[in-house]
Amino acid sequence: MNDHADDAQPDLPGRERRRLQSSRLIQYLLLQAVIAGACVVALLQSLPGPPAQYRMSALQLTDAGIERAVTLPYFSPRRDAMNDPPRFSGQFVRPAGEATRPWSVFLPRFTNGVEVTVNDVVILDSRRDPAANRPDRNTPAIAVIPASVLRDGDNVISIRLFIWGPITGFLDRIWVGPDELLRPSYDLRTLVFVTLPVVFSSWQAILAVILGIMWVMRRHEPAYGVLAAAMAVGVGQAFLQTPMGETPFSKLNVILISSAPIESALVLTFALLFSGWKWQRYGWILFIPGVLLALAGLFGNQAMVRALFLILAVPMVGISLVIMAIVTARSALKRQNVAGLLLGCAVTIMLTCWIADLLSVFQMTPNRIFTARLSYSAMLVAIGAGLTWRFARALNQVDGFAGRLVTQVREAEEKLKASFAREEERARAAALARERTRLMRDLHDGLGGQLVSIVALSERGNGSAGIGDAARAALKDLRLVIDSMDDIGGDLMLALGSWRERAMAQLRPHDIALDWRAVTPQGLPVHPELRPWHVIQIVRLLDEAVTNAVKHANAKRITVRIETLAGADGLERGCITVEDDGKGFEITSDGAAAGAIKAARGLRNMRSRAARCGAELVLSSCAQGADQGTRVKLTLPHRFPDSEGAAG
Amino acid sequence: MNSLSEAPKAEAITVVLLEDDAPTLWRLQDALTKAGYQVKAAGTLAEARACLAQGAPKVLLTDLQLPDGHGVDLIRETRRRFPDTEIMVISILGDEESVISAITVGATGYLLKDAFPTDIAATVRDLVAGHSPISASIARFIVRRTQSTPEPPPGPALNTTKLTPREIDILWGIAKGFSYAEIASHLGLSRQTVPGHIKNIYRKLEVHTRGEAVFEAVQQGLIKL
Repeated sequence: MNDHADDAQPDLPGRERRRLQSSRLIQYLLLQAVIAGACVVALLQSLPGPPAQYRMSALQLTDAGIERAVTLPYFSPRRDAMNDPPRFSGQFVRPAGEATRPWSVFLPRFTNGVEVTVNDVVILDSRRDPAANRPDRNTPAIAVIPASVLRDGDNVISIRLFIWGPITGFLDRIWVGPDELLRPSYDLRTLVFVTLPVVFSSWQAILAVILGIMWVMRRHEPAYGVLAAAMAVGVGQAFLQTPMGETPFSKLNVILISSAPIESALVLTFALLFSGWKWQRYGWILFIPGVLLALAGLFGNQAMVRALFLILAVPMVGISLVIMAIVTARSALKRQNVAGLLLGCAVTIMLTCWIADLLSVFQMTPNRIFTARLSYSAMLVAIGAGLTWRFARALNQVDGFAGRLVTQVREAEEKLKASFAREEERARAAALARERTRLMRDLHDGLGGQLVSIVALSERGNGSAGIGDAARAALKDLRLVIDSMDDIGGDLMLALGSWRERAMAQLRPHDIALDWRAVTPQGLPVHPELRPWHVIQIVRLLDEAVTNAVKHANAKRITVRIETLAGADGLERGCITVEDDGKGFEITSDGAAAGAIKAARGLRNMRSRAARCGAELVLSSCAQGADQGTRVKLTLPHRFPDSEGAAG
Repeated sequence: MNSLSEAPKAEAITVVLLEDDAPTLWRLQDALTKAGYQVKAAGTLAEARACLAQGAPKVLLTDLQLPDGHGVDLIRETRRRFPDTEIMVISILGDEESVISAITVGATGYLLKDAFPTDIAATVRDLVAGHSPISASIARFIVRRTQSTPEPPPGPALNTTKLTPREIDILWGIAKGFSYAEIASHLGLSRQTVPGHIKNIYRKLEVHTRGEAVFEAVQQGLIKL
């Protein structure tokens, strides 16, 4: 309700904003003026009556012993007691031959009560109908004159008008004629002034329930609770009927009479809260008139209540309406929302009707149709429409919010998945690194130191070169194992970098040059699926190739070519070629070396290592000529196999 | 390489060698003496300190795990007292943990204990000439540390924030097995400048030098410049 996001363009410069505001104010006031004008036009329309020939306007009035001629409609002076009421009498003519048609007396409007007598027979006493007695309702009355009472020619009708304060008595024109001609007009008035208010009151009852539920579910919005209370009071006022006179139940009347100021105070409180006003302690002032009226009824008499009603209740309603008009106008202009605008229009309609009623009470209009109560329906419609509008808007917002939420949740899920995968990868790498560090420390402190000692010792005593070579080979392998545990992130080049250093150290004493050529700038493609055991197989395979060249080929130069080749299937594959300029060997038809058994075993080892990694190994050797030497070409797979068994 | 043994001996290079394993000590000492270095051998930290007390050697070669302490302390002391002395750590496996911890206190190179005698002499000669040896795995270790990760990887701490992008590129090249020539041509450098860069990298990683102490003091507001 206090969503200030509704405030239109809050960051406009001051002058621009003021201009915009004043133009909006003018538009709003114009709209309200049009609505008020339409109301006035509608109020000036009189309801169609029965044929004029049956209308009785000129009657004799007997009041306080004085008899005089009056013309209806007639405003009688105010009275506070019902005894000795003014009596209107007149004559009407029923033409001959009408005996078969039922005739009726139709009284479209009177305050407060009437007793109709035809030819000295009472045919209607409105005091038996409590609804008809309420001055705020425009209840019409009709009564069929019994055929036995009515006679052809002149008939006498007399009407006693019972008046009780606070307003003056009123008797509209009356009709006496055939029932079939009078009844449509009566029915129309009943529809407008009896049925329609009942419909609206039912609607009000429904609203009271809806708003009450809303308030129960949303306690932080007291405006709904206040409005629900207002609606409930209104419904009670409309449907509770109490007998007239000083009966034990008449105290209940007090509540009904004081309900008008209480209800208007509640509606005003709602309007204030709705427009963002915070409930203050002085807010109770609004309820003082209603409470005073109720106290007067409980402890005083009805006459006193009636007197106070005019002083307290009527101005209270008017003041409430004026304040509401201002507040809703401000709210509608400031927030630019539909609910505020609807409420503002409804208040204008009510205010116009209230003024019309007041003019009628003070006899400044020739008629007495009270429309304030009827116009209250405009307020009900506005509230219903406003609620529905808010509800629909809230649903839209919820839909939008839910949509956004779904998108955000999906995004967050994806981010989480990615981050989880990253985290897993990092955890795996960290675990590997920790393990490697531990292994390295263990090997460094134990085996490594012992091997170094063996190397040193073997060099001092001549003739134990074999021991030294073995120890050195053991150290080399140790370094390989440790290196293979390093997380190289799938970049085989990082493993080859270390291998190069070890190969250089191995070749240097043999005076064999290592020609290292990274043909493509990136060297080899990166393989995210690469695992340490792949690396060990490849590096050992390359070691084998170099060792063969050192031990058997008598080579002077070993060339290592590293490149990325585009395969026939368009996929990139890494390729490592180890080539020497040694004496070469014969390769038998089954691909094995024809020479020494040891060399043959080395070649078999290389093949099985390549197969385990899914790599392709091509051996070629030439014993003499310009191409003399051995070439080991290892073509890596596009994707390394997950397990050793997977490879062929 | 073979020419090394015939190198002029007029300006004998003094080396203090600290190694507690006797066979290894003899082996290293032999290799260096044959190459013409003037070697003072020590088996414990105390002996090494005694040697250093006689004056600054050109080179200090030291193992890390010693019977009476850790070689890192000696490296730190030597760096502080003799800034011009080249310090090299002797390692069994060339592992990052021992090499990096030595670098951070002032070592500018490492030597494998099982290296061939000619390689031992060549490495020391290169070091004196201003070239610091670096292995692929050490280079990889250092560049890994330049990539900030939420969880610090295991191993010694390393201040890599001062490395320039070019230095990191050089380290990547070494880690991937490229030769100095290839690195130089990829980065558009002169081939001779690459070893100098590596020495710079070593110096930048050293955290306990005097300059570092002053910098730290300024940072902490202890000294006002």
